[in-house]
Amino acid sequence: MRHAMFWLIVATTAVFALLPAIGGDVGLRESLFLAAIAIILASNLNLMIGYTGYVNFGNIVFFGLGGYFGVWLSAVKGWPLLAAVPAAGVAVSAVALLFGLGILRLRGAYFALATIGINEAVQALVSNLDVWGGSTGIYLSLASYQSLGGARQALWIVYFLVVAVMAASLFLSWRIRNSKFGLGLFAIREDEDAAAVLGVRPATYKAAIYSISGFLPAAAGALFFFKNGVIQPDQAFDLTLSTEAIVMLMLGGQGSVVGAALGAFLYEQFRGYLLTSPMFSDFHLVVAGLLLLLIVLFVPGGLMGWLTQRWPWMRGKLQ
Amino acid sequence: MRTSRKVFAAAILASAILTSGTTSMAAASDTVTIGFTVSETGPLNVDSLAQLHGFELWRDQVNAAGGLKVGNAKYKIKFVTYDDQSKSERVQQLYSRLILQDNADFLFSPYSSNLTATAAIISEQYGKVMLTTGAAEDKTYELGNHGLFQMYTPATHYLSSAMAVIKQKDPKAKVAVAYSDDGFSKAVAGAAKEEAKRLGEPVVLDEAYAPGTTDFGPIINKMISAKADAMVGGGHYADGATLARQMYDQKAPMKFICLLVAPDSPQFASLGDAAVGVAVPSQWEPSAAYKPDFGPDGAAFGKAFKDKFGNEASYHAAGGYAAGLILQHAIEKAGSIDSAKVIQALDATDVSIFYGRVKFATDAQHHGLQIGHEMVLAQWQKKGGQLTKEVVWPAAAQTAPLLYPLH
Repeated sequence: MRHAMFWLIVATTAVFALLPAIGGDVGLRESLFLAAIAIILASNLNLMIGYTGYVNFGNIVFFGLGGYFGVWLSAVKGWPLLAAVPAAGVAVSAVALLFGLGILRLRGAYFALATIGINEAVQALVSNLDVWGGSTGIYLSLASYQSLGGARQALWIVYFLVVAVMAASLFLSWRIRNSKFGLGLFAIREDEDAAAVLGVRPATYKAAIYSISGFLPAAAGALFFFKNGVIQPDQAFDLTLSTEAIVMLMLGGQGSVVGAALGAFLYEQFRGYLLTSPMFSDFHLVVAGLLLLLIVLFVPGGLMGWLTQRWPWMRGKLQ
Repeated sequence: MRTSRKVFAAAILASAILTSGTTSMAAASDTVTIGFTVSETGPLNVDSLAQLHGFELWRDQVNAAGGLKVGNAKYKIKFVTYDDQSKSERVQQLYSRLILQDNADFLFSPYSSNLTATAAIISEQYGKVMLTTGAAEDKTYELGNHGLFQMYTPATHYLSSAMAVIKQKDPKAKVAVAYSDDGFSKAVAGAAKEEAKRLGEPVVLDEAYAPGTTDFGPIINKMISAKADAMVGGGHYADGATLARQMYDQKAPMKFICLLVAPDSPQFASLGDAAVGVAVPSQWEPSAAYKPDFGPDGAAFGKAFKDKFGNEASYHAAGGYAAGLILQHAIEKAGSIDSAKVIQALDATDVSIFYGRVKFATDAQHHGLQIGHEMVLAQWQKKGGQLTKEVVWPAAAQTAPLLYPLH
């Protein structure tokens, strides 16, 4: 019999895929689309922060670069979307590996600052890259969606692909957590020098996880910006999204597969609620900030920390 | 543990309140619902909120007069709006909601070109009309949309009048182009360089600067050493105002200066003598004297706006009001609120309102692009010791002669 986590991921994916599709509910699809993107970003960030103990403030660089590679390949070079998305993932992972080998020699606050620097440097580079439209970016014409049966059908296809990337993110987080590689990462998180003495190769492990954590967010970025219809440097490399992904992790509980996903889902739905609520829409940022402050102050272990403290049997079932 | 319970209970209570607050707002049959997002927060909020005030004034005036005339019936106007936070992230979610849950009959665009292009992917699927204000980039209208109609003069024409002024005053003037490295400013500057080339004006400096730049010293030195006679460019308020002040401080010997956006704001007068002579391309100025075929004249609009909001209308506010007026004109011409019929009426629109002439391109490559409206060129001048903004171009709307040369 498979682990409860396996079935939880399958069930979550099925709910995401089927719920809006059954009634053709576009409003629900749009809401779950953003939730799925948030889960992808938080789950992959969890590999760096929760598993390895390295705070990556510039994680959005993977999403943005993936968006650029994906949109450029599909809209400008005429690649099929199904080829452009994994290609964007591979390209960004390769770039991340190069960056990682350089900056992962740093630790703590220095590493965090370097990740912000990378995001800013990449944004500046892309802003001056004429082949990607420079600061004007790339606009997709409605004809770009014709190969997928027109814009209406294309948006559904992109949604299902994002759900698939979300499922892959959850599986990846779960499998790494239970692998020898994952144990190595946890050892680095607890004490990097001691881990090296035990035979873990921190430099290789860190570069590998940094690169892996870029693959699926890059694929998500390609899909997000293809659906968005426009990609410009300031929206592709928006540091606010990076910070929000960290908040999602804190909310759900870092280091936990379910925690990262739950935190991302709740945060995203909560923000969406506040924005469209007639009661709260005028001061949605204040309400969101206050509730997050309460959670950080009173539930520092995040939702999963609180749940497993209250019901310890969950610890083994929900990772 | 007791504290945790309280927090949990508070979270559940908050969720319950949030759920109860979200109610469906189905339109009544005698109302026309117009949906749009506003950048209430984020970097676009100043211009977007000014635009919202323009929309609101139009709605309130139409409703006070009994409503929109559709055939023999009258419909009240209702707005449904959400905050897009100046980001494209939620724009498709919110426009889907406006169309499907809030049953919006018509749409206004978000503020800015990229947000509009993102929203149009949704509006086009449902055949909705979307009037755009604050979405000036030409690219947005080259994507194959059918229901998108632009109120602003396109970005590629923003500096056309400035280049024409330079040509008229000094055909051999050397031009320096220095602009913010963002999509809008880059598109405007690119077109200005093309225009200079066409008019035979040599461009002696072509320099993009980062949007957050605060020290323009090196760029101004380059302008001076290139012996530029005229300077055009800029970007948005903060950088434009700083650039104007530093050019004044460094005594840059320009005969003509024209900056985007910043000098249009009344705040620009706080620069004092540094503001004198600085020109700005503007979609509309309160003093511009156009004779309207439909709706109020400029003076009546300006007065109504000031009475309601207590301040002068900017061109963003005028653009908002004008968008409502053009939608009203098209609905009344169509005699229907059916989107397809209103699109036909908009395609056929060629009308003068207080804001100037409005006409849309109807060819497939540029459908909806604004081709009738001309921007005016305003210039800060000193009259009786007071700084005022005067319209100096075109002659039809001129309120004062151009101050030239500045040095």
